Amino acid sequence: MSILVANGLTHWFGSEVALESVDLAIDAGEHMAVLGENGAGKTTLLRILATAARPTSGGLEIMGLDALRERRRLRQRIGYVAHAPGLYPALSAAENLEFFCTLQGVSRTRAAETLALVGLASEASRPAGLLSRGMQQRLAIGRAILHDPKLLVLDEPDASLGSDAADLLAAVMSDRTVVMATHDHALANRLCQRTLTLRHGRSVGTATRLHVVR
Amino acid sequence: MTNSFAVAVAVARKDLRAEWRTRELVPALAQFVILALVIANFGFQIDSRNAPSIAPGILWLALVFAGLVAFGRAFAAEREQASLEALLMTPASPVAIFAGKATAATLLLIGCEAVLLPALTLFFGTPLSVQVIAAVLLATIGMAALGCLFAAMVARVRARELLLPLLTLPLWIPFIVAGGQAVQVAMGASGSYDQAMALLVDFDILFVVLTSLAARFVLDD
Repeated sequence: MSILVANGLTHWFGSEVALESVDLAIDAGEHMAVLGENGAGKTTLLRILATAARPTSGGLEIMGLDALRERRRLRQRIGYVAHAPGLYPALSAAENLEFFCTLQGVSRTRAAETLALVGLASEASRPAGLLSRGMQQRLAIGRAILHDPKLLVLDEPDASLGSDAADLLAAVMSDRTVVMATHDHALANRLCQRTLTLRHGRSVGTATRLHVVR
Repeated sequence: MTNSFAVAVAVARKDLRAEWRTRELVPALAQFVILALVIANFGFQIDSRNAPSIAPGILWLALVFAGLVAFGRAFAAEREQASLEALLMTPASPVAIFAGKATAATLLLIGCEAVLLPALTLFFGTPLSVQVIAAVLLATIGMAALGCLFAAMVARVRARELLLPLLTLPLWIPFIVAGGQAVQVAMGASGSYDQAMALLVDFDILFVVLTSLAARFVLDD
């Protein structure tokens, strides 16, 4: 059963089309990688799927809800890792997560559990601004799963992560539906069952594992 | 479900904690208001007779420009850290987030006023009374609500430093008029202090309600 259905998603930035008539259906528990060159429209598509942006036209249904009308309700069930970590540099790693626990309406004890899951337990009291870029990315991934979302939207989550990126991502992606943009075809093959390739904002095909459209 | 009061408190505490650790805003604002008073001290011929009519004007000028900086930073910092999107991607009420940001910005400006008001007394010999403090605090509440709303509106715009004063200053005029009158009377000029304070309370209620209603639409997209 599809947990996410997009019909004709189109997005314009002024006179530039960023996304053109993209159709998509993702089943519950499925992991889909979105591939494409820089400027292909991956981030625009992911922002729309995460309800961070509205498409210029097209329809989007997530978990049976109209994603354009029920954005706040859906945000309780969606985790989003954006291109930039978007952390508070003056707050410690733990304080960053505890703050978002309050905003997500979950117990603050989730912060410590999540720090351990993303391998940052020993860095809990360090200011986020002093963490390495890879650690900041881990913290941003941790923030996205604080509220145990059913759908995870990840925009190049492997950026700056170390050699164990795949293991970390596999751990956070398990038991969730995932849409992930990446440039790493090997990682996409390892973690996702299906790929969608974008070129100049258009879908140029989907493929199952080991049959990536180039 | 998220608790709106807890969200507002968490947002305000987060902003105040970040300011306490970085000390980016309050020391700079305090320095700015002192410099403004020094310049006014040399620019005007102020003596004990004309101080009650001139000093309130200097007070409000310094406060208005310090306020523009304080409220502008409330959302500009979130934008620079790319954290605004993460904040708005939560199911927390946009009104609660706005209330938290406005509360923190108000408290930071009050910190700046704690330097400005005694300095005004020191430079111009005007009385620092409870009436003066009450008038300034009342005006700060409404000015913060409006300033933070417009700061949120322009946070994602390129020319936000230019737009914020253009949008905010015209709507701050009622606070400057009523607050100015209240402070002048409290410093010894003739007029009705109670009437000016009643106007300030009315403006506070009006603009706090209006900005809370508008915040939902401003922050939702």
